[in-house]
Amino acid sequence: MSAASMVPGLGRRVGSLRSERRWALITAYVSLIIAAIVMLAPPLYMLLTSLKTSAEIADLGGNPWLIRTPTLENYTALLGNEMFRGFFINSILVTVMVVIVTMVISVLAAFALARMKFWGSQVLATGVFLTYLVPDTLLFIPLYQIVGGLGLLNSIWGLVLVYPTLTVPFCTWIMIGYFASIPKELDEAALIDGANWMQMLTRIFIPVALPGIIAATIFAFTVSWAAFVYPTAFITQPDSMPLTIGVVSQLIRGDTFAWGQLMAGALLAALPPVIVYAFLMDYYIAGLTAGATKG
Amino acid sequence: MTKNGTSRRNVLRSGAGVAAAGVLAAPMVHAQGTAGSLRFAFWDHWVPGGNDALKELATKWGEQKRVTVSLDFINTTGNQLQLTAAAQAQSRSGHDGISLTPWDVGAYSDKLEPVDDVIGRLVGKYGPINPVAEFLCKHGGKWRGVPATSGTQNKPACVRFDLMLEHAGIDVRAMWPANNTRGPGADNWTWETFVTAAEKCHKAGFSFGLPMGQFSDAVDWVGALFAGYGAHITDATGKPTIRGNAKLKTAIELGVRLSRFLPSDVWAWDDASNNRALISGRSALVFNPPSAWAVAKRDAPQVAEKCWTIPMPAGPEGRFLAYLPFTTGVWAFGRNKTAAKEFLEFITQRENAEAITNKSGGYDIPPFASMTDFKVWETTSPPVGTIFNYPLKPHHQARTSIAFEPAPAELASQMYIQALNTKVIARVAQGGETVDQAMAWLEREINNMRRG
Amino acid sequence: MAPDSSAAVAPARPPAARPPSNAMKRFARRRSTIAFLMTLPLISVIAGLVAWPASYAIYLATLNRRMTAFIGLENFDILLDNETFRAVIWQSCFFAITAVLLKALIGFWLAHMLHHLPTKGQRKWRGMLLVPWVIPPALSTLGWWWMFDPSYSSINYLLNAIGGPSIPWLGSPWWARISVIIVNVWYGAPFFMIMYLAALKSVPEQLYEAAAIDGASGWQGLRHITLPMMQNIISITVLFSLIVTFANYDIVRVLTNGGPRDLTQVFASYAFQVGVLSGNIPRGAAVSLFMFPLLAFIAYFVLKGVNQRNKEMA
Repeated sequence: MSAASMVPGLGRRVGSLRSERRWALITAYVSLIIAAIVMLAPPLYMLLTSLKTSAEIADLGGNPWLIRTPTLENYTALLGNEMFRGFFINSILVTVMVVIVTMVISVLAAFALARMKFWGSQVLATGVFLTYLVPDTLLFIPLYQIVGGLGLLNSIWGLVLVYPTLTVPFCTWIMIGYFASIPKELDEAALIDGANWMQMLTRIFIPVALPGIIAATIFAFTVSWAAFVYPTAFITQPDSMPLTIGVVSQLIRGDTFAWGQLMAGALLAALPPVIVYAFLMDYYIAGLTAGATKG
Repeated sequence: MTKNGTSRRNVLRSGAGVAAAGVLAAPMVHAQGTAGSLRFAFWDHWVPGGNDALKELATKWGEQKRVTVSLDFINTTGNQLQLTAAAQAQSRSGHDGISLTPWDVGAYSDKLEPVDDVIGRLVGKYGPINPVAEFLCKHGGKWRGVPATSGTQNKPACVRFDLMLEHAGIDVRAMWPANNTRGPGADNWTWETFVTAAEKCHKAGFSFGLPMGQFSDAVDWVGALFAGYGAHITDATGKPTIRGNAKLKTAIELGVRLSRFLPSDVWAWDDASNNRALISGRSALVFNPPSAWAVAKRDAPQVAEKCWTIPMPAGPEGRFLAYLPFTTGVWAFGRNKTAAKEFLEFITQRENAEAITNKSGGYDIPPFASMTDFKVWETTSPPVGTIFNYPLKPHHQARTSIAFEPAPAELASQMYIQALNTKVIARVAQGGETVDQAMAWLEREINNMRRG
Repeated sequence: MAPDSSAAVAPARPPAARPPSNAMKRFARRRSTIAFLMTLPLISVIAGLVAWPASYAIYLATLNRRMTAFIGLENFDILLDNETFRAVIWQSCFFAITAVLLKALIGFWLAHMLHHLPTKGQRKWRGMLLVPWVIPPALSTLGWWWMFDPSYSSINYLLNAIGGPSIPWLGSPWWARISVIIVNVWYGAPFFMIMYLAALKSVPEQLYEAAAIDGASGWQGLRHITLPMMQNIISITVLFSLIVTFANYDIVRVLTNGGPRDLTQVFASYAFQVGVLSGNIPRGAAVSLFMFPLLAFIAYFVLKGVNQRNKEMA
């Protein structure tokens, strides 16, 4: 490409770039509005249902998307219910502990696997991911024996024990990816400064890979907050149930559904993750972008 | 602790939600000088307050016997109860006794303690026990569980008598009045009559709400229909009796004919869909225990006061009533088996069974024919007598049935869970196969299940 | 390379801080030992809570119904002989592949659209679009189910309002299949979106500018810059989602319970039905394990590719 032909071409392209950007922006907004409507319609309808009385829910007369006599009784009934608050506390305890356990396990392992090549590390890195191939609907039977043998049935500790099987592999994988993208010069510099491996991890890798850690944390949080099969199998007493199974097992009574309370419960159960996301997403994305420019 | 308990109870009462049932922590009775402890897992009752009777009985018995009794109530929603039983049987650990769904007794029979002594004493006192319950509980000549009151249900027809009279010209209240007599037309209350009525109501926009999916409500009522036609799918050894089975073919054909007059999506209905159809006022008839009516009473009282429960229609081989019994089994690996059996005997005593039935608003059916005269079925209203005919009474001239009888438990439980009887109808009505093709499929499916 | 550097570093350490090391301590400081200790928690979780139970499950799959005799691969033979199960294979593959493709495409599209917005505006859109991923699926599926309910469907209400017909969402086979996929895509697309968005942000803007100056169209930029840069994240998310979708249980269980006529049944729900509910645990285990070889095969190659690219990057 000669210099002569390039200069006018560039000017034209800058103009078309601008209009291209505008169109891109319009397409973006249109797509996002459509997507938002689709994504938010079910939660909205859940919210509407949760604000209705059961008589209104049962009534087919009117528009189901409108509320005639809004009521908070479904929420007050749940929040005023000690057992439901117990579900909440259980969920929070389990999730926090699982997130901590997960992050400790996967950060340590990912660091070792990404940086300290050793015999079998490659196999292990791949093997970790393959654990997802064994579905929890199969695992719960043998796990019941393990959890039962440890006397942890009907205890949130049983869940803390088994949930990491759901979270650790993917988190380890995220972390391996992040650690691998950190330039090797950094560790060499650290080694020259006399740091040992542990110091290298805590002083360099963890701060630099913070976005990755937050991403993995969010993932672990979401998964353990939403886990369903294991608590169904291991928890039968209401006092140790986490929210998911608690709401389903206590508000659905076979052939009678308390739809209002059920929807209220579902939305309340969604609240903590929403808060976590609202706070951490920014760090997550911001950290990522910063990390990318650094890299 | 007590304070907590009462405040929780109050909150729940005022909470008006269905959440009220089963939410209280298991009652713990700490007796001094305790003679051991018992843990039972019972079916978590769908009817609000339905667990209270068992809790009270456990407290009472525990105090008498100085046994610490703790009860867990486990829901069948999400199959948690079945899952718990499977896991406990596998790991040989868990509760002392557990509620079992109909076929699970057979599935775990070798892990359940025989209870012949208990049954013997109960039968001596209260007369013959329900034959279906016997069929389900007795394996290798031994009773492997005590038929339960709590959770055991019939599925007679809950009819909107106004719609039925207006659109099909059948006065169900006159036909099956709230006393022990048969009214005009009772002899003619057959599946043929039923199909005609279904067609008329369908045309009027009030289709019968009969599920045709894979949940127990669907399997149970179709099972009663098949039984009424003497349509057995297998013999007692599990060998398919399908080829050239004219009775089976007639029953399937009737099911197909009937399904044309049902809402188009009954193939995916669950146990709650028929309730919703009734409560929404769009359906003239459902097969269900009184829980549908009870919810209507709360949410759509104008519907509830027009409901009347009547026996299921009869077929050429007799009148059969869909019956879904629970059984309480005592694990053979449990530590306190004698006490567990004693407790089960205690809760099956007439006055205790009646207490259980009362708390469930008449939902629960005790396993003895001599216990079908509880007051609760006569007095419940509106309208008074609406569930008088819910338990099987002598003047119904009917028998209880469970789908796939007389197949052996191992096979029957698979056929039941996989809903082969509704599926064979669906293959014709929805899948467009001929009856013969569907029957051939049924035979292949059963032969496959028998392998291994 | 690394051993050299640590060897070079060791003498440089101040002798006061490091007492003379004996063989044991040297061993403890050795890289592979430390690495092994660091991975030990991971190894024990996987060995104790996945590998051991999984091998037990494999053993179970070779037993007869009563679990009294070893029958080898007979359970698989029985399953393949069964029409219902063959339909389950087909439906599982159809469900998982369609759902994952849709999730990946929609997620990619949305991530791209979000990326076009000015940074300030992204936040609220991102938040809104993430909502489905945040509600526990066991509960949000109930919400969907309520919207699909034959008598009370609010979606049908809207359709009727604009003159459309009522759709038997869960009653007719194809609609039921579509409903299950809709819910799965609705739940899973935001996850793809956020993963892709993060990946997009890590593609240096200069690359696009350079490409634009070279006269590359948006499509070419996508093909030659975005996709290669995102290859790892795309393959990992797709693989992960494929595996998880194949194992999906709650959506099918809540929405259709496999019906009508088992036509929406997938491996997990069928395994549960056969294994736990009908009391044939070995056959249920066989159903669960059925996809294992194929998925393991796919996973192996995908992960190998990812590892290779990671190495190239490093």
